[in-house]
Amino acid sequence: MEVTFKVYRKDPEKDGKPGRSNYTVEVAESATVLDALLKIRDEVDSTLAFRASCAKGYCGECMVRVNGSARLCCTAKVPDYTKKGPEISLDPLRNIPVIKDLVFDFDAFLWNKIKAVKPWLESDGSSVNGENLLPDSQMQDMRKVMSCFNCGMCDEGCTVLPVDFNFLGPAALTKAYRLAFDPRNKNSREQVKIVEKPKGIWDCVHCYEADEHCPRGIEPTKRIVALRDKAYHAGITHETVARHHKSFAASVKESGWVDEGRLAVESEGLTNVKGLMKLLPTAAKALAKGKAPIPYMHAKRPDADRIKKIFEKAEQEEK
Amino acid sequence: MKYAFYPGCVSRGGCPELYPSAVKVAEKLGIELDELKSVGCTGAGVLPQNISDPINARTFAKAEQMGLPIMTICSTCQGVMAQANYRLKEDPQYRDKINREFLADEGLEYKGTTEVKHLLWVIFEDYGIERLQALIQRPLKGLKVSPFYGCFLRRPPEAITPTKELNRRKAYLDELIAILGADMADISGKGKCCGFPILSANEENSLAMVAKHTGESKQKGADFMVTPCPLCHLNLDGNQARAEAQTGQQIDLPILHLPQFLGLALGFNPDEMNLKRHIVSTDEVESKVSMMS
Repeated sequence: MEVTFKVYRKDPEKDGKPGRSNYTVEVAESATVLDALLKIRDEVDSTLAFRASCAKGYCGECMVRVNGSARLCCTAKVPDYTKKGPEISLDPLRNIPVIKDLVFDFDAFLWNKIKAVKPWLESDGSSVNGENLLPDSQMQDMRKVMSCFNCGMCDEGCTVLPVDFNFLGPAALTKAYRLAFDPRNKNSREQVKIVEKPKGIWDCVHCYEADEHCPRGIEPTKRIVALRDKAYHAGITHETVARHHKSFAASVKESGWVDEGRLAVESEGLTNVKGLMKLLPTAAKALAKGKAPIPYMHAKRPDADRIKKIFEKAEQEEK
Repeated sequence: MKYAFYPGCVSRGGCPELYPSAVKVAEKLGIELDELKSVGCTGAGVLPQNISDPINARTFAKAEQMGLPIMTICSTCQGVMAQANYRLKEDPQYRDKINREFLADEGLEYKGTTEVKHLLWVIFEDYGIERLQALIQRPLKGLKVSPFYGCFLRRPPEAITPTKELNRRKAYLDELIAILGADMADISGKGKCCGFPILSANEENSLAMVAKHTGESKQKGADFMVTPCPLCHLNLDGNQARAEAQTGQQIDLPILHLPQFLGLALGFNPDEMNLKRHIVSTDEVESKVSMMS
């Protein structure tokens, strides 16, 4: 079949301006997008730059956007993308500095962020014959997370990264999970504190895009949620988030549901005049429209005492 | 048709216009609501799972006793409950443990049979589009509407769209816009996050998301955006002015709750749907609607 590949181009050694090259090539029905890229480079244009290694969907090197969606191009079959016509667009990932053509800056994208979570394990020293083995039941979860091949699909799908490239992102935070939850790590508390800093777990909107994007089913969002739960029980160290969670929990514990007026005020901090002033314009408008919940004027739900009992028992169990 | 109604905190707190609109719309459609009053907050993704799961199990057990499926009007309540329900249904040992430790002393037991459905799903899957169409009194012709789902009506897949055919849920709001006679102003971020969950952790990012979605919708010529999630509404409507200030643009995009949107097509006046209670002015929408009737 004859297909035209419309490929994003950028060459810093020329003018560095982004453009597009169209390559029309004959490929087999069974060809992958990577097969086509290799053919273009070998037979048509040797200046085209892209990354690829294993060609088996294993190494995660060859991610590009195929017709707008991030894919490992070694597993993306050409006919799956030509249903609307014999044209396929290929672009580098969004929001990531491009080095040349489809090659993006992997340091900025992933490695610097993974380094920031201190991705190593400090052993608790409990070894037998020099080995520190975990029972299989505990290892299963670790093994799942360790199967991450750093393809970055989760970061590609992330909702936060397009508005803030400095957010650590699901890939690095999933790495942090692996260390924080490994029973052999003597510094797991420290590991959680690292990712509690701004741009870490509390900046995640838990939209579950990452889970939908991960080709390995590692479920990065659920890992981030688990890190947050762990932080909650250990005592949240992020100041604003700690206030917010404390107020939320107190409100549910006392009344069964959320006192939103109280939550807004207490999240800013009752002594934080600047923060409270910031709420005023919206609060004034809301008040004028008759929709501002008045703090601490919140009726208890029937059975609130039952909710409180469950809440306290669950909290106790975690300690 | 009868549901155990779980309205959620926000529908009477930060978005008090939502609860009465939803109740009126349900009544008009002939959907009977038996409100779950003596149950707790879902945890909203703020409380840790080990605390919120038993509280939600209690809610499911109460609905199970009533013999009714649960209906929500909040994507966040829906998502958190659907995920908890998935864990409790999939893992009988986990369910047993929660029953034993948290529900037994109240004489409750969750057997794992309760279904949790958002109003949007109820309309498509239980109520039926033909029945809805028969009740439309004011087709919203000429109005341009952007859909905004709220993350938790689309993900995570195992809890929200457990089977391939339920993948259609991801497009219900798009479909509804056409069914009610309006035109679509599609936006790239309709299934993304509104930014509300990080409002306290990173306000700047949160407001940037508000500006991105509402700005794009406005650019595409939308008269308003419709959302089935009141938390999205709190951010997209309540914080739109701050998002405008942060990004130096004027947006002024009204945000309607799903029941308000339905209600207008069912013949209710904007006042009956409490449009006046929004932060972003809905005057233009109201005048366009009043010219239709």
